[in-house]
Amino acid sequence: MNWRTMGILVSKDFTLFFRNRFFAVITILGLVAYAAVYFVMPSSVNETLEIGLYAPVVPPALEVMQEAEGGLEIERVESEEALRGGVSGGQYMAGLVFPADIMEKFEQNQRPEIKVYVASDMPDEIREVVNSLITEMAYLQTAQALNIDWQPEILGRDMAGQQIPQRDRIRSLFAIFILVTEIFGLAGLISEEVERRTAWALLVTPMAVRDLFTAKAVLGTIMAFSQAFLLLAVVGGLGEQPLIVVTALLLGAVLVTGVAFLVASLAKGFLSIIAWSVPVLVVLIIPAIGIMMPGAISDWIKAIPSYYLTETIYQVSNFGAGWGDVWRDLLILAGFNVAILSVGVLALRRKFQ
Amino acid sequence: MGNYSIVAEDLTYWYGDLVAVDHISFHVADGEILGFLGPNGAGKSTAWKMLTGQLKPKGGRATVLGRDIAEDSQKVQGEIGVCFEYTNLYEQMSASENLRLFARLFGVRRFDDEALLRRVGLEGWGKHRVEEFSKGMKQRLMVARSLVNQPKILFLDEPTSGLDPVSAEAIRTVILEERERGATIFLTTHDMMEADKISDRVAFIDQGKIVALDTPHNLKQTYGKRALKAEVAADGGLENIEIPLDMDETPDAVRELFSQKKVITIHSEEATLEDIFIRITGRGLQA
Repeated sequence: MNWRTMGILVSKDFTLFFRNRFFAVITILGLVAYAAVYFVMPSSVNETLEIGLYAPVVPPALEVMQEAEGGLEIERVESEEALRGGVSGGQYMAGLVFPADIMEKFEQNQRPEIKVYVASDMPDEIREVVNSLITEMAYLQTAQALNIDWQPEILGRDMAGQQIPQRDRIRSLFAIFILVTEIFGLAGLISEEVERRTAWALLVTPMAVRDLFTAKAVLGTIMAFSQAFLLLAVVGGLGEQPLIVVTALLLGAVLVTGVAFLVASLAKGFLSIIAWSVPVLVVLIIPAIGIMMPGAISDWIKAIPSYYLTETIYQVSNFGAGWGDVWRDLLILAGFNVAILSVGVLALRRKFQ
Repeated sequence: MGNYSIVAEDLTYWYGDLVAVDHISFHVADGEILGFLGPNGAGKSTAWKMLTGQLKPKGGRATVLGRDIAEDSQKVQGEIGVCFEYTNLYEQMSASENLRLFARLFGVRRFDDEALLRRVGLEGWGKHRVEEFSKGMKQRLMVARSLVNQPKILFLDEPTSGLDPVSAEAIRTVILEERERGATIFLTTHDMMEADKISDRVAFIDQGKIVALDTPHNLKQTYGKRALKAEVAADGGLENIEIPLDMDETPDAVRELFSQKKVITIHSEEATLEDIFIRITGRGLQA
């Protein structure tokens, strides 16, 4: 390995990368945009159940429940029409309409008719919560409170009251986006080197093909890692264990470098690079989307290498996970890297022969 | 006999079933310009690639500057200069940046890019990006790039192909200057005029084999025919008369021409390398 030659090649590629206006603009714009989106998103999760109520008479049990249970906020409105408007407009998660004779019905052991309004996009969980709330109120009001005691035991860190805001969930997604965007840049540089045949001019100087490949790998890793690191540092994604995040990002950068080698070996020209990169990019970001929508994706995503990167960053940034929690993920990611980089180098080598 | 910069022995290369270079052997002496002539597809570029370490020979061997090119290509490449037929410059870098990049790769410590640009007629263009250059300027820059390490051997692949006369002449001048400096030149071309003008010896390559190798003068002596060509007045028009020079009857024929005809123009004509190539191979260099 000739380090001096590699240094010269890496410095040359940096120059060329930033002279390509498309890559330079997309790189800087991407960083700024991701950071801006992060800071615009809410920094906390609203855990309060906001309910609108139109009721000529309010059962005392409901007031008792509101005082006793945190996270329940009931706002009375003047009319049923106003209540419907508030639910449709997203002001309330649900709207309740109690009949004027609700107390008489309770006292006569009859069934009062309670209307519940929910917005069309409200998830099932919220509907269930509202149903439970009404049932509990009815039991309480009719002196039929459930005859049980319960004490929850939290396994792991109690996140009640400190749910992870969407913007912190999305940090992993941003990191993956930044990393995979580099596939375009590096594959573009390699492909251009082949298409313009400048690689052959380099290879008749006293340097070996492996020097050229190593220089490209170093460049790709530095470019991808430095941007992802910068973004996570700005948006506070390094967590309490920055060394783990740095390790994960480095492995992620090597992963996209290997993928870029593969894309460059298949593609001819810029449009071809886009065509090959986009499907790969979509697959690589699926695990990060899975974090945004927990439960939506099943175990098969563990076959995607970026899952182990996403999971590590997510666990460390948001739950304070340590080496003991993530070493397996990092090891699997490193294994994927060795495989993908080897295949990438072999495939690319054929182009240089 | 002087030392040889290049020695090829039984050099062979094939692509699948196609034998591109078929057991060729030749040598190039130090400071010599060898023109490697042949039509497209004759195998000259494949031979050129093997000699510059871009392809490993599949048969035979070649030593360049005393080293086996297949075994020691990196060391050889440090001492040679290579100029490609196609443009492969970094277009988004300036002319000087291109030259300095290669000077650094060759480990040249004191490098004067302006002086080199001046030699190829590109003074004042150093800071301009290559993408602004014309084809001729790019080719001159390619030649300049092949000189950054003051090579002991200069391998040039069709260096003047498709260029305007000014650029082509500038490149030929540089080639001759390099020979004066002591460099050996290996020049592949299908331009027989160029090869004739600047080569010490020329090799004809056809279908992967060397079919003739000698000085242009000797080739013409061996294979060519010399003649006098005259235009004479005849019946209100002009008539062309050709008198071969290498016959016993030539003096009488010349005397008869001047005594019996009104000679309008007269000149001697030598066979060109292309004529000789056609005579040897049965086909032209442009094929």
